[in-house]
Amino acid sequence: MTAEIQPARRGVFRREDVAALAVFLLLAAIPLATSGYVVYILPQYMLLGVLAMSLALLWGHGGIVSFGQAAFFAIGAYAMGLVMKHLTGMAINSAYVGILVGTVGGGVTALLIGYFLFSAGVRAAYFVVATLALSIVVEQTVKSFSDITGGWNGLYVDRMTVTLGSWLELSLFDDAPIYYVVLAVVVPVYVIATALMRGRFGKIVVGIRENEDRMTALGFNVPMYKTLVFGLSGLLAGVAGSFYATHAQFAHPVNAGVLFSTQVVIWVAIGGRHSLLGSFVGAIVVASLSNYLSSIEEIQNYWPLVMGLIFIAVIVLFRGGLAGLVEKLAGKGAHGRAAGH
Amino acid sequence: MTQHVNSRRGSSRRAVLKGMAAAGVATIASPFVVRKLAAADPIRIGVLSPVTGAWTVYGAAHSRGFELAVEEINAAGGVLGRPIEMVLADYQTDQRLVVEHANRLIRQEKVDLLAGTFSSADRNAAGPVVKAADKLLLYPTWYEGQIKDYYPGVCNKNIFMFGPEPTQQVWPFMEYMVKNHGNKFYMIGSDYAWPKVTNLFTKEKLAELGGETVAEVYIPFNTPQYESVLRDIREKKPDIIFHSLTGSDTVNFAQQFHAAGMNKDFTYWTVDDEEVVTSGLGPEVSAGHFVSFDYFMTISHPNNKAFLQRYQAKYGADALMNTVGVGMYNAAHMGALAIAKAGKVETAAIREALKELEFADAPQGPVKMRGLDNQIVVPSYLMKVRAGWTSVNDMFEEVMTVPSVEPKDARCDLPL
Amino acid sequence: MEILVSVLADTVLITLVLAFAAFGLAIIYGLTGVINMGHGAMLTLGAYFTWWLLDQGVPFVPTVLLSALAVGLVGLAFEHLLIRHFYGRPFDTLLLTWAFFLVTTEVIKIVFGTDFRNVADPIGGDPVNLGIYQVPTYKTVVALLALAVVAGTALVFFKTTLGVRVRAMTQNREMAGLLGLNVAAMYKLVFGFGAAMAGLAGGVIAPMFAVQPYMGDMFLVRSFFVVTIGGIGQLLAGTLFGSFAIGGLETVLALFSDQVIAQIAVFFIAVIVLRFRPQGVFSGR
Repeated sequence: MTAEIQPARRGVFRREDVAALAVFLLLAAIPLATSGYVVYILPQYMLLGVLAMSLALLWGHGGIVSFGQAAFFAIGAYAMGLVMKHLTGMAINSAYVGILVGTVGGGVTALLIGYFLFSAGVRAAYFVVATLALSIVVEQTVKSFSDITGGWNGLYVDRMTVTLGSWLELSLFDDAPIYYVVLAVVVPVYVIATALMRGRFGKIVVGIRENEDRMTALGFNVPMYKTLVFGLSGLLAGVAGSFYATHAQFAHPVNAGVLFSTQVVIWVAIGGRHSLLGSFVGAIVVASLSNYLSSIEEIQNYWPLVMGLIFIAVIVLFRGGLAGLVEKLAGKGAHGRAAGH
Repeated sequence: MTQHVNSRRGSSRRAVLKGMAAAGVATIASPFVVRKLAAADPIRIGVLSPVTGAWTVYGAAHSRGFELAVEEINAAGGVLGRPIEMVLADYQTDQRLVVEHANRLIRQEKVDLLAGTFSSADRNAAGPVVKAADKLLLYPTWYEGQIKDYYPGVCNKNIFMFGPEPTQQVWPFMEYMVKNHGNKFYMIGSDYAWPKVTNLFTKEKLAELGGETVAEVYIPFNTPQYESVLRDIREKKPDIIFHSLTGSDTVNFAQQFHAAGMNKDFTYWTVDDEEVVTSGLGPEVSAGHFVSFDYFMTISHPNNKAFLQRYQAKYGADALMNTVGVGMYNAAHMGALAIAKAGKVETAAIREALKELEFADAPQGPVKMRGLDNQIVVPSYLMKVRAGWTSVNDMFEEVMTVPSVEPKDARCDLPL
Repeated sequence: MEILVSVLADTVLITLVLAFAAFGLAIIYGLTGVINMGHGAMLTLGAYFTWWLLDQGVPFVPTVLLSALAVGLVGLAFEHLLIRHFYGRPFDTLLLTWAFFLVTTEVIKIVFGTDFRNVADPIGGDPVNLGIYQVPTYKTVVALLALAVVAGTALVFFKTTLGVRVRAMTQNREMAGLLGLNVAAMYKLVFGFGAAMAGLAGGVIAPMFAVQPYMGDMFLVRSFFVVTIGGIGQLLAGTLFGSFAIGGLETVLALFSDQVIAQIAVFFIAVIVLRFRPQGVFSGR
């Protein structure tokens, strides 16, 4: 992987904040304006968006590409399912425990793997392949321990209920309530991740991407920062996975698979890897588009072909993904730099 | 996610017109009926098919079986004076997308019921959806039977099984195979529930018959190499290779088994290789394999002759049909019969009407839906792959036929 | 003794067959830096061309050569239209090659259908019985061919002026350009050759595997491991060692456990190998 030389673009941030506000307000308004399938499916796509963000902060900011994001997503999903299934009759809401275990599980696994690999200087394509192996190992493990996980046949996960002591109990079986619960998770996740990446931590991570040797010379513990950003990324993927499982009511080994991991990379590349918001939107757009294309019966037998052509068009026409395009349109003249280099 | 034009709907509309033309002579005296049919809202059935992705090889037979049945039903005037409209969804052999599309069909396409999914994993993904929305799912594939652990993917009163389970697919032929080909079984299957449960039942029966399982081996999906298994087989010297690999793996294994010169040394009994897979094996590799299923293109039942004529007229002489396609075909017809019997398109009523429903025109011979556990009673056939076969039309020769096999009771809280 | 010989022989065969399947990727990824997600689709395309040509009555040997040529031409066209504009931008080429996979797979389905296709073993007959080992004839031929192809390419790579130029190009593109080498043509040549090798492998292994539109997927991930574990750009030793680590090792491990565990263990070991040889086992650095 070549280093993507991408100086911090301070002027862009304010515009991105406005865009983020617009995106989230739009998302908040959708259930008020409509109902039915869109309201059902969007929370799942938002969670895929969080998964995409988990890669964007790693790839766009840290310059580290992972083909193993699905592994952490699946850890979150299975943790949620298994905790909700087995932890019954407790005073505490088992879904909360599930989310906690799933999130921490994703984060800690990523920390351990990250430490193991980064401390030895594994990087670039070699890191990609190591994360690919992680995806395969988690997928195979989930398949093989079928007594616990249900194996290839998958695991049924209950819809969670929101409780607050004894004075609130909100069932999430209807589309709108769970929509807003997911949105209420996604927004702070985005805000916190953005704040972190704009703060000192994020600047160091970007600095490492730009010039690792220089950061080492300046006295920064490079492997530690890489490990931390990978851990953060696993944490986000874990949150996304645990909420996804209870929304879809199903966890399956494909959630950990290589194909799914590859799709995450595609979403981020389409959305724009330098922008958390761009990758979040990218996931929603690509997932919606493939859902839509596959439902058009005229092209139903070969719609991936159309999808492939769209990918080619995106890459050829606007490098830097959707975020790059938006930025270019918004910042015409103001900034000389083309996005995405 | 806006509205879109829909060719299959178009074609079913054309089919309706054709049907009306045929019925036209009879109804000339009562144009009212025709007008009513044309004006009636269609009954919409969502079909979840693996059109793309790893099971794409099965996708064609799967969706065509249903499509053909819908065309026949509409040509005969529809149900309750309404045509049936098939809304096809491609879930790309991805369980995540089963959930997406099952919900899309129900919430956006407003289908009245669902049919399809291919593997048990796909069905289990759809289980919670049909439970929550209280819609029926008609499932076509041979599968491992129902165990409460996998609720709501099985043991779900809204899911009806149109394919055989192991006690129907394997048990009827155990005695014959043991008597004629030996009692030492080497079991090889893919690493998931269907092969494992199938082997569990097979072992149970084998023990009763005084046989022995010399090995039970499971292989991860998409494995290219089988050398260590082949070596193990040579060492353990079984009489019968009892085979339940699926997808590409079954072809990879059989080809390497044949290349190792082992076809002549062992009897090969597969419960997976229907027409689609056997075509992929080719005549040399598959020659002499025993295969058992509820349906084969080569069975001599008169229903099948008529069925294949219609099928091949529509899709061409080379078009493959198999147990899953016939499962879909039966599901469509029995779904329509049940709606007619219920007199309304409403889940609880159709569910009740499906129970104990018989379908005399099923391609494999008469079938019946059990009321107790939503499981089909079907014929079962043991076939041998003909040496030097040239097409699906002469691929198998009948070894043994059981006209009707009851399944073992589902291990659920019965009745469903 | 007998088991030792047969495990050894199996391991060698598996290693070489996998090396063949991965070789096209080793060339494209190793020499041009393009993360070729379309490698599996190139294998599949080679297998389908082979199936189709055999069906037209063309004998086996010209068939696989024509298949290699055809896939090579497809690769060249793809390179010329798209890839050449994106060298040095690995993740754009990753997306482009993924799109190549999507498009090619669908075109295969439209042109050749979705059913399994069967390519019969061109040699046929029983394995040669050596007493202690039954030699599977066709697989052995494929393995020897793999060895010849990999070694032959390495010979060209290390011993000819063409090879020197290609190596100069991969080590320092600007410098090679300054020295008057036609870098663009060289990349094209390498990309086309890699695609042709994938097509050749796809055609040659078709009789051993299920020919279906996603056939190459089985080898895509494995090939990436082969190339990376061995060391990117290490055509001969890297490819052979990587193939042993990913393919051969599985057979050895399956002796002591079942195949599922063996497969998990292989990928686990792959990560550990990378931990201690972070640039691949045969990296120069």
